[in-house]
Amino acid sequence: MTSLTSPQPPAPTVALAASARGLTKTFGRGDTLVHALRGVDLDLPAGRFTAIMGLSGSGKSTLMHCLAGLDQPTDGSVTVAGQALESMDDDTLTRFRRDHVGFVFQAFNLLPMLSAEQNIWLPTELAGQAGRDRDLRRRFDSIVETLGLTARLTHRPAELSGGQQQRVAIARALLSAPAIVFADEPTGNLDSSSSAEVLSLLRQSVRELGQTVVMVTHETEAATYADDVVVLADGRITERRGDAA
Amino acid sequence: MRTVILASLRTHTRRYGAALLAVVIGSAFIVVTAALSSAIRDGLTAGLGEPYDGADAVVDSPSPTETARLLDAAAQSGADAWLIGWTMEQVALDKGADTRTVVDTSTDIGQLPDRPDRRWQELVSGRFPGGPGEAVVDTNAAKVSRIEVGDGLRIGTGGDALDVTVVGLVDSPSTYAYASVYLLWSDLARWQDSLVTMSLAWADPGDTADARTAIREIVPDAEVVAVDAFVQDLQKEVNNGVDLVRIVVLLFGAIALVVAVLVINNTFTILFAQRSRDFALLRCVGATRRQVLRSVRLESFALGILSAGIGVLTGLGAGHGLVALVRAQWPGARLGEAEVAPVWLAGAAAVAIGVTLVAAWLPTRRAVQVSPLAALRPDDSTQARTRTGRIRIALGVVLLAAGVLGLGAAVATANVGALAVGGTAVFLGVLLFGPILVPALIRSTTPLTRRLLGPAGRLAAGNAVRNPRRTAATAASLLVGVTLTTAVLTGMASSRSALTAEMDEQHPIDLAVTAEGPLPADTLDRLAAVDGVVAAVPVPGVLARIGDLTPLPLLPASTDGDAKVLHDALPTPGPRQVLVPWDLIGDGIEVGDVVPVTVGDTTRELRVVGGEGWGEAALVRRTTLEQLAPDAGTQAVWLRAEADADPADLAGSVEAVATPIDASVENGLAKRSYVDLQLDVLTGGVVGLLAIAVLIALVGIGNTLGLSVLERGREHALLRALGLTRRQVRRMLATEAVLLSVVATVLGTALGVTFAWTAIRALVQPAIDGAGLVLPWGQLGLVVAIAALAGLVAAVLPSRRASRIAPAAGLSLD
Ligand SMILES: Nc1ncnc2c1ncn2[C@@H]1O[C@H](COP(=O)(O)OP(=O)(O)OP(=O)(O)O)[C@@H](O)[C@H]1O
Ligand SMILES: [Mg+2]
Repeated sequence: MTSLTSPQPPAPTVALAASARGLTKTFGRGDTLVHALRGVDLDLPAGRFTAIMGLSGSGKSTLMHCLAGLDQPTDGSVTVAGQALESMDDDTLTRFRRDHVGFVFQAFNLLPMLSAEQNIWLPTELAGQAGRDRDLRRRFDSIVETLGLTARLTHRPAELSGGQQQRVAIARALLSAPAIVFADEPTGNLDSSSSAEVLSLLRQSVRELGQTVVMVTHETEAATYADDVVVLADGRITERRGDAA
Repeated sequence: MRTVILASLRTHTRRYGAALLAVVIGSAFIVVTAALSSAIRDGLTAGLGEPYDGADAVVDSPSPTETARLLDAAAQSGADAWLIGWTMEQVALDKGADTRTVVDTSTDIGQLPDRPDRRWQELVSGRFPGGPGEAVVDTNAAKVSRIEVGDGLRIGTGGDALDVTVVGLVDSPSTYAYASVYLLWSDLARWQDSLVTMSLAWADPGDTADARTAIREIVPDAEVVAVDAFVQDLQKEVNNGVDLVRIVVLLFGAIALVVAVLVINNTFTILFAQRSRDFALLRCVGATRRQVLRSVRLESFALGILSAGIGVLTGLGAGHGLVALVRAQWPGARLGEAEVAPVWLAGAAAVAIGVTLVAAWLPTRRAVQVSPLAALRPDDSTQARTRTGRIRIALGVVLLAAGVLGLGAAVATANVGALAVGGTAVFLGVLLFGPILVPALIRSTTPLTRRLLGPAGRLAAGNAVRNPRRTAATAASLLVGVTLTTAVLTGMASSRSALTAEMDEQHPIDLAVTAEGPLPADTLDRLAAVDGVVAAVPVPGVLARIGDLTPLPLLPASTDGDAKVLHDALPTPGPRQVLVPWDLIGDGIEVGDVVPVTVGDTTRELRVVGGEGWGEAALVRRTTLEQLAPDAGTQAVWLRAEADADPADLAGSVEAVATPIDASVENGLAKRSYVDLQLDVLTGGVVGLLAIAVLIALVGIGNTLGLSVLERGREHALLRALGLTRRQVRRMLATEAVLLSVVATVLGTALGVTFAWTAIRALVQPAIDGAGLVLPWGQLGLVVAIAALAGLVAAVLPSRRASRIAPAAGLSLD
């Protein structure tokens, strides 16, 4: 695989890509009250690949949604790229996500009526950067080539394999060089060789582009690709492993 | 299986909302029609026999002269006769001050029987006339026109005008025999030539047989009927009339129901597509195909029953409410009691259930054809791009070709059947082509929407075409209403222009003021200064003796500057011809006679030709007039009114000038605007009835969008995660709805105009020379604008719902 060339200075000057303090999230009320998160404190250093692990129902997705500004926490604060999310209204938050956060989900990552290329450009287009400056175009070409998607750009999601779809999603997440990329079980639907491919691509983006990636997974195998591992159980962090690369 | 049915009904009932609404509107329309028609019938037949109380025989529609002869003979022979009929005259109200306002340029004037005990009108206030010069006015008409007891009325214009005093207000027990103003025969007789006599009641000192003999003695071939038989016939006639109107109105109900079928069919198709994995799962765990089929059929049946119930109740409420409202607000409409027969309720309910079952038939069949394996496939239904079947396209081509041929044949042979068959075939062909045509049209707008709305616009266009069959089905429902509406609008505009040309010819002058002698010098200026007059032209003339007629103003057929007032050229008399108004012909002179025309001591022999449209005067060539009267003064003034002038107001102002100098006023404007009004009412009525179908179609658009939003929850969440703001989500969905409705409307307009054009070529042109296609651009533009606006409205609920959902919640949607 060719290496990713970085057109921009790699790591942002802030040491922390994101952090959470006293993060609490409850769903429902009365009998159906669920404590998905019970006061989580977490620092995600920039330029590292962090895996969030835990059993099903432990609150991994909820944590990720709150960190990414997709959901409002019940209590506590979240800071991403040096900005506090709780002070933002919906529109500001949306624009913030568009400019600073990338996503890769387990499934339904792509819009079915858009081609792979259109899907990759979507956030840029939503941001109104329709002009597509030449640097971005070059970055697009290099990412697409690295991810092996060049021949698939005109295909629609329905015409792509699961692994290819995830690669398109990764390309989309990386294109705008966001402060942080969140991936929720990006390999959940893939066989082991496609999984390995996707995971090493994510790690490569951290190593070579200085990208910050946070990945939710319950596969121990997947977690071995990460620099740091955070383990959740019943809405609390029970373990932090930092094995510096 | 019972638990499955109940659970799915519980979960999915809300998604059936729009389908329910469509059926409810359709079936309620039937019940409302039944309620209204029963009220109209009740109103029309109430007191039908009362005007004939005390009569021994009835003469069915005698001619004006027969009527006059019978009435005169009755008065002499000791029998008693009165007529049920009227003449239409202008009525001006005189409140005692100097001003006189024209209430109406054409009001029905009926007869008040001479003998008090024959008067079927019921006195409400004041008294009955004691002799000539007095009138009673219908109380509802009086209320509308603000006429009170003691007011003066001037009935008619020109020489026949009659001044009466209103001495009482009356009510009519019979809608059928009702008139606005009633006069004694001695006053009414002056208009006996223009009387419309429905019937004449005859009370004889003897019995019915004597009455018959007495009438036959005066009018040998009169159609004499016994009173009971006559009233029964009348009743039947009214019933048939109401039935006919009801059938016509129900035809529009049927159109609305066809649209409802499309909407419900679409709803079921979408819902079952969304639930196909549920069905497959059911099959996997052991449900037989029959069981699944029964469960979905039961579901549609339950929906049918529910909508039938709501529809019938809504219809009853709306129908009775509407009748009560009209009776309270507009007593002049003379509605009776509304009473909907149980058979109508049952019929409306049956139609509602039937429509639902028919609409659900195909989708349910398709739903159970899903294989158990489908549950195991990972794809979701949104990605399933329906392919347009070859058979469908082939059939579409055949129908289109056949339809075009049929329309061509219709134009060539002026055959109504070919027109209907060809039109239907073309329409069906377009419907079958919908899945290709509609998406292609929407796609062609992408550059525009993208430029206007950015990424949201492009996404909207993509969303609108991703499921071609669904898009086409949604567009089809709107297409029906829009095609019919625009066809009617275009047809009406074209007929209107043909009629206008004819009216221009018949009434070339808006208002013609004609005097018996030279007009005072300031008359022209005073008339030109009247509000609403844009041009006034003086016309020279002289009083002439034509044959045995009473002396008549003689005017030239052309004068300097008359182009300023004329809508169309006046007929040109030959050098030896004189044009005499039709209503003077027959009394002593006939068309073709050569009569002496004398002015002073000059006489010319001229041949009589009939004509009208220039008032009470005869027309000759300008040169002829100059020979007869070398220095004729101004005898008439012709006026051109503003395009939107009120004919009654204008007539009032002009008569205020004309009456003191004994000039008569011919009001062509009133006749033109009467025809205009009829066309407006007809167009308005038809378009209003079609609006029901359009309304249902718009519910359908909101429905398709709402259901699509449900199935695209995850996508919207993804878009929100990637940076689409709430407003952009709303804009995207609104754009999708507007695209859909505008494309359907434009397509429908194209079809409607085409159909109107063929219909005019095939049916109207052979009948009216020079009738061509006239496009009412304003109205057609309005139709498209309303469709766009309605699309926006239809998108309000779905887009609010879609944009409210938090991205995280959407991502975990199933
Ligand atoms: N929208 C919601 N409403 C109610 N409860 C919720 C909602 N979303 C999550 N939960 C609950 O919160 C808890 C944490 O859920 P979360 O989705 O974060 O788990 P997870 O660790 O991602 O599990 P998995 O590995 O299965 O994806 C669970 O008990 C879940 O039932
Ligand atoms: Mg999860």
